[in-house]
Amino acid sequence: MHVGGEVDVRSAYCAASVASLTNIMTPALFAGTAEWIARCQNWEGGIGGVPGMEAHGGYTFCGVAALVILKQEHLLNLRSLLHWVTGRQMRFEGGFQGRCNKLVDGCYSFWQAGLLPLLHRALHARGDPALSMAHWMFDQLALQEYILLCCQCPAGGLLDKPGKSRDFYHTCYCLSGLAIAQHFGSGDLHNEVVLGIPENCLQATHPVYNIAPEKVARAVMHFLQYPVPSLDLA
Amino acid sequence: DEIGLIPCPEARYNRSPIVLVENKLGVESWCVKFLLPYVHNKLLLYRQRKQWLNKDELIDITCTLLLLNPDFTTAWNVRKELILSGTLNPLKDLHLGKLALTKFPKSPETWIHRRWVLQQLIQENSLPSLATKGNLGAAPVERIHRLVQEEMNVCSEAAGRYPSNYNAWSHRIWVLQHLAKLTVKVLLDELSSTKCWVSMHVSDHSGFHYRQFLLNSLIHRTVTDNNTLVQNQMVNEQNPSLRKEEESAETEATCAEEQSVDLPSRLDEEMELCSELIDNYPGHETLWCHSDESLNNSHRSPAASHMAQAMDVDGLNESSSKQGYTQETKRLKRAPVQDSLGPEMEYRFVDKVLSTCRDVDQARFATAYRKWLVTFLGQ
Repeated sequence: MHVGGEVDVRSAYCAASVASLTNIMTPALFAGTAEWIARCQNWEGGIGGVPGMEAHGGYTFCGVAALVILKQEHLLNLRSLLHWVTGRQMRFEGGFQGRCNKLVDGCYSFWQAGLLPLLHRALHARGDPALSMAHWMFDQLALQEYILLCCQCPAGGLLDKPGKSRDFYHTCYCLSGLAIAQHFGSGDLHNEVVLGIPENCLQATHPVYNIAPEKVARAVMHFLQYPVPSLDLA
Repeated sequence: DEIGLIPCPEARYNRSPIVLVENKLGVESWCVKFLLPYVHNKLLLYRQRKQWLNKDELIDITCTLLLLNPDFTTAWNVRKELILSGTLNPLKDLHLGKLALTKFPKSPETWIHRRWVLQQLIQENSLPSLATKGNLGAAPVERIHRLVQEEMNVCSEAAGRYPSNYNAWSHRIWVLQHLAKLTVKVLLDELSSTKCWVSMHVSDHSGFHYRQFLLNSLIHRTVTDNNTLVQNQMVNEQNPSLRKEEESAETEATCAEEQSVDLPSRLDEEMELCSELIDNYPGHETLWCHSDESLNNSHRSPAASHMAQAMDVDGLNESSSKQGYTQETKRLKRAPVQDSLGPEMEYRFVDKVLSTCRDVDQARFATAYRKWLVTFLGQ
């Protein structure tokens, strides 16, 4: 993650995210990365921090999103991944847990639910006929209920679960998850599913970068104007 | 051997806030808001080169800081510098980390620093000419072994202090991979020493995942060694004049020892443990997941490899992925001995659970498991 620091799947995502938006990707930069990420997928179907580790929502998102950027999602067993992530939505709370047998947490509204748009896209590219054209493969309304009813701090901001205190991290990811749950697809296929009053509707977020889709487009277009920097020490 | 914060909002008496009882260190909470900013500031001034601190002061300050907030990366990095310059014994940091973990069992930075320290120690180990600063005497292999055992203890303690402690268990796996090199002995030792722990922490998915890791590593170990054995045999058959006597004899000896790991019975034991825990503690999803995967493994294990040795190496590799093939050869191999935990046994177990359980979650898990059995064994 930084010089002399920890090595795990998050750094692959950070690097891929930054490099792709700023147009500095070269084949050498990510040589072997996709294969390494694929090794982080384990028997549970999810992805761990490093190969051999327990499947975890945060790491799984980072791994899958990085592979989407690198266009190598097919290296994963998408079926077992889908099985794992859909099993993480809690039938009582409606929110998601980070790992099997753990408690629900608002931030996984993004890390876990955010996987379904990515999976949808990957499976669609394979021509899977069973895919819905209106909904993600998780209970979008139930997740919205959990976030809106349980994760809001009366003084403003959002949180992990009732009883916890608010912080920026949970505010960010609860809102991101809410946006994912409210918006299916884009363009012609866009389908809004909003719980409660229309004013609850948030702007859509880009499922790979988690910033507004327009911002992704603008960033990419801006940096395409510049050539990919070379590594020569001239 | 343990630190903690004593809730004490006001300084009532004019005395030190440090309390030491039976080797346990306590700090009264009122002083933290004075102490922490003070030491924090001192360290930052040093880093900004505005105020000099000598080595001993640095050691003391970082120690205090890290016991109050072990996720303060800069403090750990100062200690890294001290270790690299030879002023600080790396073992001290292992002890400091262990202490910090008694209060902050998840602290990511503590675990990360710990791995850095261990890497330094391994490198040191491979250069016997270096003065070992107090580690003199023990042979390298024994030193590593002691380090590994200590790490297992630290992980175990931390795992007990926080449920499903991802960082503690990943560290444990890291130590086995990088210090203990995943030998069969250490894998088996860990399987037996964690058996009791997981039985007392039946919802700890990380704990059970660790056992899956151990079992998978054992399977992988056996497959690799068998591959080497088969390859050596093939080489020997094709080029008798090029036979490397020593090499093949050694590999065969190792394989003989490792083939004495009765994988099928290990996997059976795991299934038995699962069934027992599922019966005793209804409604824990972790146990059912573990059961699924253990059954999966016992059908994919290289028990079939004995049969496959007669075949070419490619056949051996394929057997672990073609479930039908492995099941068949497994049945062939075990024909004279009755399967202690075959599929019929699993059906009976699940049906028994379904008919006797009263826990809603347990019933749901059992039903799902039954459906999975039908799909899985139906192939």
